[in-house]
Amino acid sequence: MIKTSELDPNFKYEIANEPGGENIKRCFNCTGCTVGCPVTEIDKGYNPRKILRKALLGMRNEVLTDESLWLCASCYLCYERCPQDVKITEVMGAIRAIAQREAKAGKIKLANPKPLFDNLFIDSVKSNGKWYEAGVSGMFMLKTKGIGGVIGYAPMGMELFRKGKLSILPHKIKGTDQIKRIFEEVEK
Amino acid sequence: MKLAYYPGCTLHGTAREYDASTKAVSKTAGIELTEIEDWNCCGALEAIFDKELSMGLSARNNMLAQKTGLDLVIPCSICSHNLSRADKAMKTDEVFRGKIEKALGNKYKNNGFKIKHLLDVMVNDVGIDSLSQKFKKSLKGIKAVPYYGCLLVRPSEVSKFDNPENPQSLDNLIKATGAECLPFTQKTKCCGGNLLMSKQDYAFILTKKLFDEAKAAGANCMVVACPMCHMLLDGQQSMVEKAHNTVINMPVLYFTQLIGLAMGLGDKELELDKNMVSPKQLLESIGKETKEEKKVEKPETKAGAEPEKEVAK
Repeated sequence: MIKTSELDPNFKYEIANEPGGENIKRCFNCTGCTVGCPVTEIDKGYNPRKILRKALLGMRNEVLTDESLWLCASCYLCYERCPQDVKITEVMGAIRAIAQREAKAGKIKLANPKPLFDNLFIDSVKSNGKWYEAGVSGMFMLKTKGIGGVIGYAPMGMELFRKGKLSILPHKIKGTDQIKRIFEEVEK
Repeated sequence: MKLAYYPGCTLHGTAREYDASTKAVSKTAGIELTEIEDWNCCGALEAIFDKELSMGLSARNNMLAQKTGLDLVIPCSICSHNLSRADKAMKTDEVFRGKIEKALGNKYKNNGFKIKHLLDVMVNDVGIDSLSQKFKKSLKGIKAVPYYGCLLVRPSEVSKFDNPENPQSLDNLIKATGAECLPFTQKTKCCGGNLLMSKQDYAFILTKKLFDEAKAAGANCMVVACPMCHMLLDGQQSMVEKAHNTVINMPVLYFTQLIGLAMGLGDKELELDKNMVSPKQLLESIGKETKEEKKVEKPETKAGAEPEKEVAK
């Protein structure tokens, strides 16, 4: 049930101010995004139209803490088909960015492990300029599934290593100072 | 043809066979690739939602490519999307361009610099007719479904070379090798790659749907043009089998490996031993057509030179 007293009328502007979220107010709820969504096909509980509608109504807390926010597969099908050019995939990204900031500030808790993986990945790019696959995957397994998870994935890791597909150490580029400056500029 | 080359992180790791086969096939097709110096990660799918960071990281690669004075070719659909999206923003969004130029202490060139996916280069720049002239061996016996996935053809405001709903370039390329190209309703459906970390069981359901459909179509192989799709379809195929208590056992070839085979290149050059699902049986099936089928072939046809029109069987 919607409680009007709990709605945040500024939420849509907050999203529109995030890179990628600019077009959210164009949505007229036609459901075109949802009928073709591959995730909705296997989970009726995942409904991008509802996420957008709730965001436009100002149901800020409900949208930011909804686990389904992390189920978008970024396949860009809705982005392609949207008659209003809402750029839904990127709007999802804008909402995720707000959710991550709220979680960092300790205001909400994110149950899905995806932001943890993304952050480990991005941190490894920040320090090396390239993705450190073995390190990021290992740390993610350890943090989400414990040492058992790491051991469970070991045979696959060994097979990749045997085929020369996995490097034990990270590769560092020369221009890591430039990478750091890119991070600083876009985080301003 | 000379092009700058951005392999991206996976082609130097889990997708090394895509890197090797790209180089081998390009050489045969008359393309000289120059790998751009000191390139960095494009942000992949992990930063794709952090739009400015993804575009900033990608723009650095574009600027490195611009130093070569050549157009840029990218075999990975995700890298190709990210670098193209960044190129568009650097050319149209002054505020963003200002930020990145300040960070890198360099100007972005707003000239005719182009970024293209390798499939686009092969099909539209080299062209299927000239490629066919390099084909020495008919791949009759391979029954393939073309799998485009998501970012290769979507969104069409970034990727413009094929139809986003019913693309044909990979279909036409497969047919040109003499392999059978089967109709595939799932050709642009998501493989679930970006759900692997958020909800693995959903990722595997999406992957399995692709294989179910491919098998129903009668395929003995899937052909892809993206290392992320390949990572799930080939790399994680055994995990999908385990999760769904089933046997899939379907080789997944990069399109470069497929055309490399038609060019008569060796297994070593194409690194066919690096695929996680062994294509050994598939390779043995090439050229083993029945005598009746041989009779149907026109005697003057060069093997594999003619893109045969396939009739639904």
